[in-house]
Formats: sequence, structure tokens, C-alpha cells
Amino acid sequence: MRSFFFIFLFCLFVFPKICFSSTDREVDIYKNIRCLVCQGQSLNDSNSNFAKDLKQVIKKKILEKKTNKEIYEYLTDRYGDWILFNPPLKKSTILLWAIPGIFVLLGFVLLIKRTQLTSLNKDN
Amino acid sequence: MKKNLKIIFLVLASILFFIIFYYALKINKKNNPRVMLNTVLPTIELVSLKDKTKKIFLPTANKDKYFLLNIWSSWCVPCRDEHQILSKLKDKIKIYGINYKDEQSNAISFLNELGNPFYFIGTDRNGSISIEIGAYGVPETYIVNSQGIIIFKHVGPINNHVYSTINKIIK
Repeated sequence: MRSFFFIFLFCLFVFPKICFSSTDREVDIYKNIRCLVCQGQSLNDSNSNFAKDLKQVIKKKILEKKTNKEIYEYLTDRYGDWILFNPPLKKSTILLWAIPGIFVLLGFVLLIKRTQLTSLNKDN
Repeated sequence: MKKNLKIIFLVLASILFFIIFYYALKINKKNNPRVMLNTVLPTIELVSLKDKTKKIFLPTANKDKYFLLNIWSSWCVPCRDEHQILSKLKDKIKIYGINYKDEQSNAISFLNELGNPFYFIGTDRNGSISIEIGAYGVPETYIVNSQGIIIFKHVGPINNHVYSTINKIIK
């Protein structure tokens, strides 16, 4: 039971998109876009002129059957990677993406070692 | 011995992370409004502010060495400030205006009051044209060359310093 709980927690933090996939694609996109004229707000939270214009443009792109990737590309071509809260995987961002994975792996290694040590102690 | 190794590993890891974060902080991750600089201006259709039957496509409509593109609005206070500088530039370079989210009557009153430095004014009723060219709002100014490449971009009102920079570019 406990292990299921830990797996659930693991999923929750590592794969939140899989655990709780939002059906509202528009809102999902807005949440990943930074309002460039506001202080750290996403497009979803902002009511600035810039945010309103951008929301209309994104709505139009969705109606034109553009994929999320195409929409993000359209925006980064005009405003740079800074407009996305999730930076794309590039040479310059590889460390940013790799570090969480490295930490998860290290955590697993430590966990396995600890479990082995505890079982050895129990056996002795 | 094992404990020493652990301490050495921790110290080395801390130094490594310090170096990584130090350099990461030094990188300018801030917003760069000049992303579109030295790229081709996306084609935009401008419908005339005064006569809705007239429209042009930029950058293709331009035949000059350079043209200036200015986003403005009658409700924008800094636009009022930069208007006199635009008036000084109108004889040196063709100025195309994008009237951003404005009422036609207000825009025309603004021009009647302060003069019209624009060669052509197109309307941007919903802000989509401004987004198309990577703008943030009003006022914003671009200089585009005959190949349609954006060679200069300024976010905010044109001041005397920007005016002299523009003069140097179009000289």
C-alpha cells in the first residue's frame, strides 16, 4: 500500500501532465507563456493589452489547426525563448533539463543502497 | 577513509554547482525585445485608417532604401511625446504608421492637432498585426531596409538619442 502511495506521489511530481491531463488546450498553452510586459505572470493570469492580443492570436492559430509546437515556434520566432516558461531543449538548456533527471537517478541509487544496507543489517 | 571521500565528493559537488549557478546567473536571460532584429519583416497587410478600400502589403510595398514603421495610438501619452521627432524624420524617410487599437475619429483628431508625419497609416484593430511583427505595445519603431530586413528596433518613445541613431542609419 505504501509503495503505491509513493508511486502516486512520484507520478504527481514527475509526470503531472499524465496524471492530470487538462482538456482545455488553450489554457494549457496560456499557462506556458510568459506575459512579457508583466512581472512574472503567465498569459493565463494577465489582463494586459499584450496578453489579450496574444490570447486572440493563439485562439486563431488553434482554429487554424496549428499544433502546439507550431504555435510555440511562432511565438519564439518573434519574442525569443524567454516567452516560454518551459524552455525548449537546446544546447544552451541541456543542463537545465538534465539536472532534475540526474538528481532522480542519484536518489534511486541512494535508495537502493540504503535498502541493501538495511536488509544486510537485518540479516546480520 | 569512506567518510573523507564523502566529504570530498560533497565539497566538489558544491563547487561544481556554485560555478554552474554563477555562470547561469551571469547569462542574460531577460527578455530581449530585439529578437527579430536582422530578420525579414513578416508580410503584413495594412488597411488605410482614412480609406478602408485602400490597403498595402509591407515590406513589399516599399521601394526605397529604408522605411520606418511606427506603432502608435491617440490614447498613448508617450506617442504624443515622440510625434514631434517623427515629424522631423518625415522628410528623410518614408514613415508607415500602424494605428494600434484606436478609434478612427480619435486618431484623425490626434493627427489634425499634431500634424501627420506618416506616408501611410494602417489600422490594427485587434493588435494582431503588432504581434505578427513581434511588438510589445505602443509606441514601437522599426527601420526596415529594401530587402525587408529589420535593421533597427526601438521599444518605447523615440527620444533625441534614438533620433540621432536613426539619422546615422539612414544617412
